[in-house]
Amino acid sequence: MSEMLTISIDGKECTCKKGEYLYDVAKRNGIFIPTFCRSDAFEDHRACCRICIVEVEEGGRTKVVTSCVYPVERECSVQTRSEKIMEERSVVMALLVHRAPEAPSFKNMVGRMGATETDRLVTLDGEKCILCGLCVQACNALGTGAISTVNRGTEKKIDTPYGKGSDACVGCLSCANVCPTGAIEYSETDTTRTIWNRDFELVRCEECGQVMGTQNSVVFAAADEVVPTMCDSCRKKHLADEMMATYRYV
Amino acid sequence: MTDQEKGERIREIVAAYPADQRHALAALQDMQHAFNFIPEEGLVELAKHLGCPQAQLYSMATFYKALSLTPKGEYIVKICNGTACHLRGSMNLATSLKSELGIDPGQTTEDGLFSVELVNCLGSCALAPVMVVNDTYHNRLRVEQVPGIIDSYRQGGASDE
Ligand code: SF4
Ligand code: FES
Ligand code: FES
Repeated sequence: MSEMLTISIDGKECTCKKGEYLYDVAKRNGIFIPTFCRSDAFEDHRACCRICIVEVEEGGRTKVVTSCVYPVERECSVQTRSEKIMEERSVVMALLVHRAPEAPSFKNMVGRMGATETDRLVTLDGEKCILCGLCVQACNALGTGAISTVNRGTEKKIDTPYGKGSDACVGCLSCANVCPTGAIEYSETDTTRTIWNRDFELVRCEECGQVMGTQNSVVFAAADEVVPTMCDSCRKKHLADEMMATYRYV
Repeated sequence: MTDQEKGERIREIVAAYPADQRHALAALQDMQHAFNFIPEEGLVELAKHLGCPQAQLYSMATFYKALSLTPKGEYIVKICNGTACHLRGSMNLATSLKSELGIDPGQTTEDGLFSVELVNCLGSCALAPVMVVNDTYHNRLRVEQVPGIIDSYRQGGASDE
């Protein structure tokens, strides 16, 4: 069994496994730390937005760490809202809003904790992406690998190869759903979804008519199994009805 | 080079490597050497061979300065803009190249003869400012020398032995 530790977060005593990430311990104990580039869907984290910084005091020394990837190795005392942290977070927030002024999730966050005023930063008009790479991680985890970071430095962005519709993409929206800033654009009509420069045909449940996803994503998710024609809940209902019919007279 | 020759050359380069992703960069470099850029067919073929997403190779190809997705000129003129060369006027060399060739760093002349690039320290700071054409170093270069050097390449005389 792994070693257990007791640490204090904002004065509250919390027990955790050695090596557990600070953010997870805080969350379990009802202590809110803001995050953007972290998703519970993955075990390894991007650790690039820096909004989750906290102050850790360990053996008489204090340091600022990113809680989403800071493993608790020994007893410590953590401050998630000290004056220093609030100030530094508001600098981080300023960097983020200049990078992605159009990100809807930032508006609320700036309201909550402010963003340092400065005229030293250039604002990227119209930008929403903070280049956290969660979308790429999601696409790779799925096994599609249709998007990646392209270029470097100030030119860096997320895109498909050559900015063209990609054969690897199945139009599943995993990237758009995981994005913390709503940066990935797509549109839908009754029959078609358009994302990453490509049109995908939508399939609907033959029973209730709900959208089940794109044709490509449904086939992809089915792998070698039979491609379903009904949505999950209709399928379950059918199965139950069938069972009823079969076992009624037993 | 015909399309068929190009295809064959691509298959040769790709087949020279075991199907393992860690060879991606080496294979891309070979393509860069063979074609002066990485053709789309090459990237597609390599992804198939290595069993990795095209997007991953595209990411690499756009990350490294040594790789290019658009055809580069026959002569690649690199101006060092490291600290030493910068202080010794490398930007003046760039200006002079611009008036000579009509292109900025990062561009290629329409006739496909020259590409100009700004690069970081080439490790010859004592000889600053440095300009390298393909593999030939032009050291302690003065702006007045630039037109002559470019002319000699135009005439094809000063090839890079
Ligand atoms: S599009 Fe969204 S998920 Fe992808 S890098 Fe940008 S902010 Fe992150
Ligand atoms: S959430 Fe920790 S660095 Fe982004
Ligand atoms: S700075 Fe140009 S060679 Fe070092």
